[in-house]
Amino acid sequence: MNDMTSPRLSVVEMQRIISGELSLRSRLRYTALLLLALLVTVAIASLWLTEASLPARTRVAFGVMVGIGLSWAAYAAWVLTRRRVLLAGHRVIAARMAVTFTTIFVIGSVALGIWSPAGRPAYAAAGLGAGLLIVAVAMLLSARRRFEELMQRRRALEQELSDRTR
Amino acid sequence: MLENDRKEDELLAVRCQLGEPEAFDALITRWHEPLWRYLRRLTGDDDAAEEAIQDAWLRILRGIPRLRDCGRVRPWLFGIARRVVMDRLRERYAEPARAFTEDVDVATEDESSDLEEELELLQDELTRLRAPEREVLVLFYLEELTLTEIADVVGIPTGTVKSRLFRARKALRDQLVRKGVKR
Repeated sequence: MNDMTSPRLSVVEMQRIISGELSLRSRLRYTALLLLALLVTVAIASLWLTEASLPARTRVAFGVMVGIGLSWAAYAAWVLTRRRVLLAGHRVIAARMAVTFTTIFVIGSVALGIWSPAGRPAYAAAGLGAGLLIVAVAMLLSARRRFEELMQRRRALEQELSDRTR
Repeated sequence: MLENDRKEDELLAVRCQLGEPEAFDALITRWHEPLWRYLRRLTGDDDAAEEAIQDAWLRILRGIPRLRDCGRVRPWLFGIARRVVMDRLRERYAEPARAFTEDVDVATEDESSDLEEELELLQDELTRLRAPEREVLVLFYLEELTLTEIADVVGIPTGTVKSRLFRARKALRDQLVRKGVKR
């Protein structure tokens, strides 16, 4: 180790790689994928569970579709926790999206239950959607609390550093 | 290291956790070279260090939301870099502990007297130390981590860091004396 050189990969190149990894758009895409996969799965599962007179083949098809929906949801969740991780600011945006999507889903399901003949499956979907909405609201509250904690720490550190340099 | 530097590092870590891209740029500007130097000394090889540094930064980005105490960002960064090397060694040899503690045989043929050559000799002799001892010397003297921080990075008790540091200093001193360098 005679010569302690500098890294060939410069600071600027590393910054470029990391900024590509930090893309907000990609995180929002995976968040939307997760939510859509979950909500579509809930809608199909509601039909599957509440329609008593479905032929066997239709039941199998619903089962397969639920499986596919859950697989997509699991994949998106894996990406968001392992690859395109959600930082505090991203978590707030993602949780807001979750609250918005699930609210629309619940309202739509209830409206379908009232104004269409498919009452039972629609109400079942609204019930399951309400469960998801509760989870989404809890995630939003937790994300906002974490964001606020970090902002407070940031302000305190900035104040401390500016006091020291005076 | 000055207390201000530690606070600045903590502030950067907090801003990264918030998700500010500029904070990641600043973190890389500040720590890319020290981490690379550490990896270079740990692996003893430019190419291995180059691969490891990219992997380390990706793991840092993906792991930073889980960093509980932003005040300990320094040992956390070095700890991740170290784990990257350990994982690579594990993959390569499937026997991590033995592979990591093997001596690295790098010959030195220098008997110079001017400062530059003595520094070069010091680098060479550092490479000849056993990896665990070389690592604590690098972290303590070159990267200026405290004993507690080194304990965090390496995952051993502070007392063991102290004794390892003592052994490393003695081994390095003995090697240098054998090469004719006076104290």
